[in-house]
Amino acid sequence: MKPKTAKGTTLAMRLFLVMCLFITALLIGCTRKEVKETAQQQAGKTITLLMVPKIKGIDYFNACERGAMEAAKEIGNIKLIYEGPTEAKVESQIQLIETWILRKPDVIAVSCNDPVAIAGSLRKAREAGIRVLTWDADADPKRSKREFFCNQATFQDVGYSLVDEMAMQVGSDASVAIVTSSLTAPNQNEWMKWMKKRMREKYPKMKLLTIQPSEEDQQLAYQKTQEILRAYPNVKGVFAISSVAFPGAAQAVRDMGKRGKVAVVGLSTPNVMRPFVKDGTVKTVILWNPVDLGYLVVYAAKALLDGQLKAGIKKFKAGRLGEVEVRGDEIILGPPVKFTKENIDKFHF
Amino acid sequence: MRERLLLVFILIMVCLNGLVERTINLSGLLDMSRHFIEVWLLAIPMTLIIISGGIDLSVGSMVGLCVIVLAIGWAKLKLNIWLSALVTLLIGMLAGALNGAVIAYISVPPLIVTLATMAVYRGLAYGISQAKPFSGFPDAFLVLGQHYIFGIPVQLLIFAFLASLTSFVASKTVFGRYVYAIGQNETAALFTGIPVRALKLSLYAYSGVCAALSALILVSRTSTARADAGIGYELDAIAAVLLGGASISGGEGSILGTSLGLLLIALVRRILTLQLVRTEGQTMVIGALLIVSVAIDQMLRRRGRR
Repeated sequence: MKPKTAKGTTLAMRLFLVMCLFITALLIGCTRKEVKETAQQQAGKTITLLMVPKIKGIDYFNACERGAMEAAKEIGNIKLIYEGPTEAKVESQIQLIETWILRKPDVIAVSCNDPVAIAGSLRKAREAGIRVLTWDADADPKRSKREFFCNQATFQDVGYSLVDEMAMQVGSDASVAIVTSSLTAPNQNEWMKWMKKRMREKYPKMKLLTIQPSEEDQQLAYQKTQEILRAYPNVKGVFAISSVAFPGAAQAVRDMGKRGKVAVVGLSTPNVMRPFVKDGTVKTVILWNPVDLGYLVVYAAKALLDGQLKAGIKKFKAGRLGEVEVRGDEIILGPPVKFTKENIDKFHF
Repeated sequence: MRERLLLVFILIMVCLNGLVERTINLSGLLDMSRHFIEVWLLAIPMTLIIISGGIDLSVGSMVGLCVIVLAIGWAKLKLNIWLSALVTLLIGMLAGALNGAVIAYISVPPLIVTLATMAVYRGLAYGISQAKPFSGFPDAFLVLGQHYIFGIPVQLLIFAFLASLTSFVASKTVFGRYVYAIGQNETAALFTGIPVRALKLSLYAYSGVCAALSALILVSRTSTARADAGIGYELDAIAAVLLGGASISGGEGSILGTSLGLLLIALVRRILTLQLVRTEGQTMVIGALLIVSVAIDQMLRRRGRR
């Protein structure tokens, strides 16, 4: 009995050892390559930029990555690492950033899943001598000690653009309704604040009939829009201000045969809205260009290290975007972009 | 056997980590544990539950619920933060006990019960908080997640204490042996006069308490309470327990094995991150690790038995 057991164990043990050796070799291989890269960096004074999206693998952040790659290629001596969690979890971002602090990149730029939770890690990065930017979603500036926030579009710009677009499509005295996400969603509420302000000040005759929640649910947005169209036959326009509310609302307008009679204006991505823009249900989709946002972040990182981007300046040069405005500690990407039948095919996110 | 296998793996990883960082950075390793403790705490009761032949999928959601209970107690009801923490531990225990009661006394399979409460507790967390995050917790509370005693993170000490205690209970007490007996053969255990139901109830309640503790530490570490806290924790915890040698059909496993499993996963993640391996690649490596280690273990056993 015994020799047999020993023999069997030896075979399994041998297999196990081979596995271990294989893994070890693999990892050491990586280490070697890394050493070479470090040497190269020192020779060419390459800047290492760690760019962290909220989540990887969705169209929006892939578009940001494309823009960032483009900028890194233009500048040349930037080593761009675009790495984020596979689920939009702030704990994963914290873990990622704190591990990365050990490798001391020159700049860390984060799109934060939570403004407060991430702050501690960003402060740690600053204390380790790493420059810190935020983009797309800001961190608490005081707690995190981040230096600049690359703001894709201010709430004011987006709110005003939505109302201006609606006034242009259906007139400044139209009756309109809003389909929002949840009634407590901070972004949506902030946009609505500016939308109402714009209506009061520039279009006093525009009448806001109702605000309906759709809870980030396309089907619910569809139902709510149908209810609005039935309850208010005189409604001329519907604002749908979340990326899932917009296609839901557009679908409802189309299905009820109101295409061309009721305008739908809102915020969403070109990929989602393409069919509605093509068939004319929706004339304009308002959003910012995430490719440009990613592009801007890389130039901002470079300018930060070069000393061109520092407290008190009003603008700095960012490649093909030209002179970019800086308001306090926020870098403004520019006015929102409008996607229409003419240009929507150029955007894939 | 499994423990020895894991130890070898871990030693290799520590050496590799030394290679990667070009120094054996013990304090760095200790510090890194802060990112994992919340899951680690869940893996302790999960080990016992899996040994007893059950499973608890609701732990991640219980963390989410407890995080919100703590925040509401403190921010809305204006309770003292420590009183609120105590209430949170109680609610956690209740949530766990509810799982346990349905499983033990109504005999619904644990997989179904905890799959349902996983949705219920998460829904409650979102509902009560209206999906709004809370922040601005008092500095005194941050002691759980951001302070050190002799250079060791406070939460690591809490984990070490709970793990040793549970390990002692599992291997050296009658209670612990009963847990193994239930996992080996529940019917036999019942006829032997083991209080199977009460035992199961207490295991799931313990799971709830640990989830609450994990929630407290998470809030303290990130100074934020969000309803989406703890999503996916249950799978990380279960993976570590299985890597640690527990059998999903019950009757086998140990806290030591689980702890080694947890440590191994944490080390591998750290090394891969430092080596610029992308997050999706890391997930695959850990999946492969689980399969390889269980396969080797099975192979060794089969050879040994023959």
